[in-house]
Amino acid sequence: MKKLRILLAMIFAAVLVLAGCGGDKDSGSKSVDENTIVLKAQTAGGEVTRVDNLVKAAEILNKELEEKGEDIRVKVEPMYFEGSWQDYAKQFMLAHQAGKEPDIYATGHENIGWLADGGYIIPLDDLKDSEAYADIVYPVLWDAVTYKGKIWGALQDIEHRPVYYNKDMLRELGWSDEEIDSLSEQVKNGEFTLEDMTKLAEEAVEKGIAEHGIVHRPVEGTDFHYMLYNFGGQLYDADKNKIVFDKKAVEKQLGYFAEIAEKGLIPENLTNMEWSNIHRTVLNGKTLFYYGGLWNIFNWGEDPYHDELGKVDYEWVKEHFGMMLVPAAEKGGKPVTLSHPFVYVISSNTEHPDICKRLLEIVADPELQLKHAIDTFHLPITKDVTELEEFQKQEALYETMYMLEYTTFVPNHEDFPAYSQAVFEAIQAVELGKKTVEEAMADLEVQLKNDLGDQLIIKE
Amino acid sequence: MKNALKKWKLPAFMLGPFLVLIIMFFFLPVLLTAALAFTNMGPSMQWEFNAVQNFQKLFSDPNLTKILTNTAVYVGFTLLINVFFGLTLALFTTYFARKERHGLFFRTIWMLPRMSPPVVYALLWVWFFDPSEYGLLNGIRAIFFDLPPINIIGNEPMFIVILANGFIGASFGMIIFSSAIKSIPQDLFYAASVDGASHWSIIKDIIMPAIRWPFMFVTIWQLLSLLTSYEYILLITDGGPLNESEVLALYSYHKAFQHFEYGYGAAISLILVVIALICTFILWRFFRVKEMMRTSRID
Repeated sequence: MKKLRILLAMIFAAVLVLAGCGGDKDSGSKSVDENTIVLKAQTAGGEVTRVDNLVKAAEILNKELEEKGEDIRVKVEPMYFEGSWQDYAKQFMLAHQAGKEPDIYATGHENIGWLADGGYIIPLDDLKDSEAYADIVYPVLWDAVTYKGKIWGALQDIEHRPVYYNKDMLRELGWSDEEIDSLSEQVKNGEFTLEDMTKLAEEAVEKGIAEHGIVHRPVEGTDFHYMLYNFGGQLYDADKNKIVFDKKAVEKQLGYFAEIAEKGLIPENLTNMEWSNIHRTVLNGKTLFYYGGLWNIFNWGEDPYHDELGKVDYEWVKEHFGMMLVPAAEKGGKPVTLSHPFVYVISSNTEHPDICKRLLEIVADPELQLKHAIDTFHLPITKDVTELEEFQKQEALYETMYMLEYTTFVPNHEDFPAYSQAVFEAIQAVELGKKTVEEAMADLEVQLKNDLGDQLIIKE
Repeated sequence: MKNALKKWKLPAFMLGPFLVLIIMFFFLPVLLTAALAFTNMGPSMQWEFNAVQNFQKLFSDPNLTKILTNTAVYVGFTLLINVFFGLTLALFTTYFARKERHGLFFRTIWMLPRMSPPVVYALLWVWFFDPSEYGLLNGIRAIFFDLPPINIIGNEPMFIVILANGFIGASFGMIIFSSAIKSIPQDLFYAASVDGASHWSIIKDIIMPAIRWPFMFVTIWQLLSLLTSYEYILLITDGGPLNESEVLALYSYHKAFQHFEYGYGAAISLILVVIALICTFILWRFFRVKEMMRTSRID
């Protein structure tokens, strides 16, 4: 009898431990009192307006509810994530499994593939017809949130990735102010090509005006793929929902990076450099060209990268740098850039999908978008913002809006990160001179076939 | 039967809760990882049995040879530093240092990296060797010697990773060996001195035999932790450039938590478990543990 009691006690203890480990699977939302619905919204990085705008959207929604005589109120609780983008994705994945994820999650559009496939988020097809998104800046933007024929996210913002050129150095090279100011126009018209850019960089380095001719991002990322588009390549087959390995274009893409490395135009250790040192190299006048992003102006104002001035504002940036599209690969060709729209998605666990959807309509309010655009140097997604006088005063934004006409996107496919990583490693190998372009191509093909399997189409 | 129950009642009661914990937190995860290794679980977290596809993929992975070589180099050399440098430190701070507080002072210094958070420790290495002119080493080179910046982390990533891990790991061996040396009866040292034994002879004939157990323990323990450790590599080089410092444990992490190929990552870690078992078995034989259990060498 005693033994039985001991056994029972042990089982009871084990059950207690197990029960403590489990959690009840409630969604992120909770109610403070009966009439207030609390929704959680999360973003990562310094651009906190992405969720702060949702907090304000809730206030607008509450006014609407009051006018209608409804007695419920909505409160948005902001969550800010610090860490890498992979960690940001990972914590959402795990939080979702535990039922602790935010109701609204702000993320890069390329994550929609796995978010949709994994049942993490709900489709938002109605949003396309919503009045709030009726005047979207470019209808092509909907492609970024479309996956398997459905719309999965609300566009939050957009940017472009221009090439920054150092005006002081061009002056030293003997360019007149008019010539400098017309460079972006020449690029736009396809008169100034990628080859011209390389030659100019060479000249600046040879004459000792610039330490480096060109600097690009040091780590894997979407920027490298605009070069593929520039060489007429294809990344994705939407009909078959597969990644495309476009051999001819990838070879040219690798060839370009091999060439600028061989000519000594990029820092020898570029792909080992810290991000902060990239910013320092650019701001302290050590490179003629920088393949950057529009939001870098925001970064430069946030942290002290300039050796003497510390943080620099847009006025300073404008005085010393110009922005142009990535020059076309061929004379008369179309220049290129790439955008990586941020989107809001709604968790499939949320208890209040309708309220979340309404919030995503309200958050497209021009005033809210304007604040985000000005604070963080991103572009709005609807035309009504671009018509606001205050927006038009923001030269960096308003005067580069045209670049969106030349923009491209990376696909939403779940295996794209593996493709992107493999291509980055190939670029790194040719830049460091560890492989020739041919060797890198052969290795890349083996790697991609192994990593992507039947999700890959090889285009000879 | 009744006797057997009586005999096992107390141990069962005392050990039961721990057994439950071990099963839940050690045994079940291993089973889960093993099961996962045969699925295609990806970011959508859905399980689909895919037989041995993950292993086929791993064995045809063009990076595999390089990663296995890296793992062997990394574990081998770091282990050497951990054990022999740890032993040297222990000898210096216990046997050679005449005054206890001197030994204690140096041991404390070597323990400092252990006490600092891994991220801080790794970042110090990164800042020191940063390849741009803003790195500390390159700054020193430029200011005092007027030399151009060098990129040690980029050119010799494995060297830096081994050094960083070796230095921090040596303190573990140092502590274990110090206490083992301290526990050797002083009479033996006195007797050896009277006999006119040299330092080398004392180390070889008194200290080494006395610390065989801790020596084996430190070697096997460090070997197993090195095989599965990747945090400093992740923080210092992230396996790069071009997989030059990528080891199997880090590859598993990258596949599972960077590319979200959980099934594939689990398959890699399963292979790692097999390698760890084989290594432990070899070392078990190497140290002739059975023999060591039979007799005691001192007393």
